[in-house]
Amino acid sequence: MRHVVTQTNLEGKPLTEPVLLILTSLAEHPRHGYALIKDIELLSAGRVRMSTGTLFGALRRLLVDGWIERFELEDTTRQKQAYRLTATGRRHLQLELDRMKHLARAGFARLKAAEAL
Amino acid sequence: MRRAYQFCLILYPRAHRDRFAEEMLQVFEEASADGRAEGWVWSVRFTLAEIGGLIGGAAGAWLDSRSAARVPSQSPAPGWIPHELAEAQERVEANVAAMVHAIANHQFERARVLSNQEREARENLRVLREKYGDEYGMNV
Repeated sequence: MRHVVTQTNLEGKPLTEPVLLILTSLAEHPRHGYALIKDIELLSAGRVRMSTGTLFGALRRLLVDGWIERFELEDTTRQKQAYRLTATGRRHLQLELDRMKHLARAGFARLKAAEAL
Repeated sequence: MRRAYQFCLILYPRAHRDRFAEEMLQVFEEASADGRAEGWVWSVRFTLAEIGGLIGGAAGAWLDSRSAARVPSQSPAPGWIPHELAEAQERVEANVAAMVHAIANHQFERARVLSNQEREARENLRVLREKYGDEYGMNV
């Protein structure tokens, strides 16, 4: 089934890696800035250590597009602002993960076919 | 380090600074405090990555603010609806038509599959309507 065209995958354009990692991290539960950096490092098995410039650039765009929202944490001694996925953001993440799953399947099938030759 | 970082934030557009500068500084301080025990090699790498990130981030913020300023402020032409919304609506309508056809031809298994697809298509449409609001007045 063909997917609805989204803001980012118009003409099949995939999400950037920082955006995908941020959305994936927020899919579990809301997080503040530093918690996002730590979780992304964990998610990527230490491969990606996002700088604050990259993180807040991506967060700004996601806020403008309405994929995430910012809110104040009630009980915290450290950072007050946190971010969570909106329904739209969740849907876009789902679409991107479906796209990646489809691509991975096709890739593995071709590798298998080449090995069989 | 804190002062140098604060100084670099001047590279960003005013709107970005007003919204994020304090938070960025807080995250930077937390990250540098956490890595202090890692040694000077880590510190040098961290500082270089942060400077690079700030320069790249500031460039992106300026580009975004310039392109936002170029977007015309007038409201869209009457009857115009966003492309993705129109496509989602068409998908729901196509699904309903295919389902009706399948039922009329006693293809109940196919109708069941189409029904699942239709539910998914309606969910897409609902999410998009939430995004764009009710201003486009579409009925499905």
